Amino acid sequence: MKPTVVVLGSGPIRIGQGIEFDYSCVHCVWALQELGYRAVIVNNNPETVSTDFDTADALYFEPVTLHDVAAVVRHERAEGVVVQFGGQTAINLAQPLEQAGIRVLGTSPRSIAMAEDRGQFDRILADLGVRRPPGAAVNSLDDGLRAADRIGYPVLVRPSFVLGGRAMEIVRDSSSFAEFYREAESASPGQPVLVDSYLAGTEAEIDVVSDGEDTLVPGLMEHIERAGVHSGDSMAVYPPIGLNPEVQWEMVETGRLIARELKVKGLMNIQFAVVDGQVYVIEVNPRASRTVPYLSKVTGVPMVQLATRAMVGRSLAQEGYGSGLWARHEGQSRVIGRQEFLALGEPISPVYAVKAPVFSFQKLGKVDPALGPEMKSTGEVLGIDRTFEGALYKALVASGVTFRSRGQVILTVAEGDKAHAVGIGKLLVDQGYSIGATQGTHDVLSRSGIPSEPLKKIQEGSPNLLDRLMAGQVSLMVNTPGPAGQETEHAQRIRRACIETGVACVTNIDTATALVRALTLYASPLEASCMTLGEYLATPQKVN
Amino acid sequence: MEKILVIGSGPIVIGQAAEFDYAGTQACRSLREEGYSVVLVNSNPATIMTDEETADRIYIEPLTPEFCERVIERERPWGLLATLGGQTGLNLASQLADLGVLERYGVKLLGTPLEAIRKAEDRELFRSLMREIREPVPESWIVESEAELEALLDTAPYPCIIRPAYTLGGTGGGVARDRDELWETGRKGLKLSMRSQLMVERSLLGWKEVEYEVMRDSKGNCITVCNMENLDPMGVHTGDSIVVAPSQTLSDIEYHMLRTASLKIIQSLGIEGGCNVQLAVNPKSFDYYVIEVNPRVSRSSALASKATGYPIARVAAKIAVGKTLDEIENAVTKTTKACFEPALDYVVVKIPRWPFDKFRTGDRRLSTQMKATGEVMAIARSFEEAMMKAVRGLEVASKDLTHPDTSLSDEALEDRLRHPTDERLWHLAEALRRGWTVKRVNEVSRVDPWFIEKLLGLVEVESRLVGLRTEPSAAREVFREALDSGFDLSTVARLSGLAPEEALDSASVRLEPSYKMVDTCAGEFESDTPYYYATREVEDDAAVPQNPISVL
Repeated sequence: MKPTVVVLGSGPIRIGQGIEFDYSCVHCVWALQELGYRAVIVNNNPETVSTDFDTADALYFEPVTLHDVAAVVRHERAEGVVVQFGGQTAINLAQPLEQAGIRVLGTSPRSIAMAEDRGQFDRILADLGVRRPPGAAVNSLDDGLRAADRIGYPVLVRPSFVLGGRAMEIVRDSSSFAEFYREAESASPGQPVLVDSYLAGTEAEIDVVSDGEDTLVPGLMEHIERAGVHSGDSMAVYPPIGLNPEVQWEMVETGRLIARELKVKGLMNIQFAVVDGQVYVIEVNPRASRTVPYLSKVTGVPMVQLATRAMVGRSLAQEGYGSGLWARHEGQSRVIGRQEFLALGEPISPVYAVKAPVFSFQKLGKVDPALGPEMKSTGEVLGIDRTFEGALYKALVASGVTFRSRGQVILTVAEGDKAHAVGIGKLLVDQGYSIGATQGTHDVLSRSGIPSEPLKKIQEGSPNLLDRLMAGQVSLMVNTPGPAGQETEHAQRIRRACIETGVACVTNIDTATALVRALTLYASPLEASCMTLGEYLATPQKVN
Repeated sequence: MEKILVIGSGPIVIGQAAEFDYAGTQACRSLREEGYSVVLVNSNPATIMTDEETADRIYIEPLTPEFCERVIERERPWGLLATLGGQTGLNLASQLADLGVLERYGVKLLGTPLEAIRKAEDRELFRSLMREIREPVPESWIVESEAELEALLDTAPYPCIIRPAYTLGGTGGGVARDRDELWETGRKGLKLSMRSQLMVERSLLGWKEVEYEVMRDSKGNCITVCNMENLDPMGVHTGDSIVVAPSQTLSDIEYHMLRTASLKIIQSLGIEGGCNVQLAVNPKSFDYYVIEVNPRVSRSSALASKATGYPIARVAAKIAVGKTLDEIENAVTKTTKACFEPALDYVVVKIPRWPFDKFRTGDRRLSTQMKATGEVMAIARSFEEAMMKAVRGLEVASKDLTHPDTSLSDEALEDRLRHPTDERLWHLAEALRRGWTVKRVNEVSRVDPWFIEKLLGLVEVESRLVGLRTEPSAAREVFREALDSGFDLSTVARLSGLAPEEALDSASVRLEPSYKMVDTCAGEFESDTPYYYATREVEDDAAVPQNPISVL
């Protein structure tokens, strides 16, 4: 008789917990079956592959809650339960299930709790010599204000234990602190509110597979947007394009240290901010993250399979991997160490893969499409190509960022973004686009000799930006919001109007900068390649 | 080996979620079983369909006509299957056909012909086909001037709905109860519409909304896979409705009347594969209208598949390559064929999951625009049990029918029942908790009295549990009733203030549920599909492996 293992699904699809977790659950089931287990699924989402009747050896169509899951485990007399692949839904059940006498496979519930407990985790990182942004977990507004003063504004205020950055806000000064503190407090009642230094650097993340000893990093992803945009809403590129190799290796090494300290058996995701060449850990998720399918596909590393094998005691070494970074170079794939990585001098992958978020604002009236620390996207697409620009172009087009054939490209950017508007405007004009800009942006462009038509904001009378949109005379909009709480509702109205007239609206200056890098491909799309995934992975690096 | 190109549905957006990975994955496997090689295009990497295990040649490329043409040019597939990639897949296929790409490369469109898809999707073509086969469609008029509006005042059926064309966020629309309101709202709508155009349509607000999932093969064999009833009456998008399968409030005559209509429709359209028919039924007569047809695999068909065990996408893919329903094996029973209509010996409840915990400023009112990002489904032997299981699986603030915020005034509550939000279920329960009669709740919300009665029963169990706080002696009986109605142990403990595990010795009330099988045939034939649901019954269908020995 085969031993039984129960795999927990991730429940209904919501923002922050999407189809990625279904992918991981299904692969876990397959991996268990290969290892000779009877794999059983518990999930209640009718839209998924994991709840197809022939995916697992048995399917229990049940809510993913403590009592419902425990009853199935007892009924099946299962050896244990896997909580790593079902998102926050499943991982939240780790401790309660263990307390009910059920064995949790993989990373222990104690380690999971450690990674999620602010105070404990800060101490662990300090012991390991890993930097994290100064911050505090506070239980009252007064403590919060004191902490913010000590840390220094801007600070990131957010509730603990919620998914997808809900009620998370960047607070610039003490006058608006109270408002956002209250929101964070009510989003997770009875739990401390986290106040952290807001680091305006480059963000990056890694997913690691560990067997408790060795730790494999299949790849690093660099975010296109700087800190301040939720990782689920930012574009990301594998391999990194702007991080120096020493910094990259520090992330790999940090991943190894944390995985070993927490005795991770399975997957873990770590998010970083890089400021002035210093690497800070901003978040650790001791479970499969939403980037696992993306990274598995573009690196060829079967991450869920390796993680599942590690959970039942197979080491990475036994599987032919080990500690280090996965590299596909000169037609070979292997795990490399620090020396070899630093000596490489070129990308570790023959292709670039850019992930872009996709939103559903058209269906959600009154929601501001501007990006921020709270996640808003419902899905994602991937662009793969031999060049970064090609991958970028495909990701943008696939996510709906296209120019309409009629009208101008409109630039209307926040004060802090104006310097970037010049570079963006210049590339647009060089490619033959005509630009419309609100007064402030227009002035900045003019000073650099970039032609643009000055346009009125809504509050400045007619004809204005909104009229242009409604008349179908806007090809694409770049509209970046000012600091939280300091924005006029008119700016929001313009962004909403883009959504409702179907005009692509870019709300982050870094996204806009990336967009103009891909402009030549918009002009000649045939320069992008079109190949199967297998062909991309086998292609040697294109030499520029 | 002949190649078939399968188009996926791309990124997850509201209205097009994981169901198309489920359908697409099944279809790819089904085609490979038939000996075809599958070429797949999808821009969404977080899918099983873009795995080497699922397809032979995988393109993670943008879903645009340009990239699809390049894929076709490289691969030269024999056929294209587009009815499994949601509206995205279908639109791409029509674009490729219109651009002449399919013809240029000699690609055969498999499954439902484009002609049939257009007939189903084009408003006017569909209406004229329905008139031809004498199936009723709700009357509607296009109005482009005040004079036309005036001419309509005497003939329009009241109440009617006014929808101005081309306005931001549907502004200017509304319901007109009489000619004065039609004149007022209609004139405003004409001004607001950028093209001075509006549609006036018979209002079916408050009618029951029912769906049938039907399948047809190239020889014209058709079956209904299942029917489903929306708890929310017409006016709320099906994707935002609480859905029950099979229908609970239709009489046998109504059930068969609508089934016959659905089969007639799929036959007349010439669908080859799966199709979803939505109908509105007058709760007070036998009148009905055909609302819409989805000539493809949809969210509803994924739900119907899971609700019945019948793999619609798998069968649709086989139909697309010419197999007929009587030739295709029922993969669940392995003893019957795909032409057997499934039978259900349980109740299924689906509840949507909305994103308003994230979008606090979002407009929470439900209407004809879908807002849910996902959904949960629950199966049990009674509606009550399935409902309670579905609610606690939603992972929202409340794990049962109680709501953290009970401060609404009666007026506000009435307004919420009239104009439902994502919290409608809790508002219905709250009204009943306040002692509103079933009749009053029905009049305000238009939810069928049968559903309200059932919710009332659950609210009463809830209040008996709360009553144990002052009178704990009846604990055993009330606990048993609560567990049988689908309350879970933590809700029972929270409401009663007692620990049910202690009050109930296992001899008197079984705490553990039984597990029953979803076998597509209500036990009529042998089946060994390991697809189970928990319910409060004695007999157990799930065979448990004995004495597993292993060391992990």
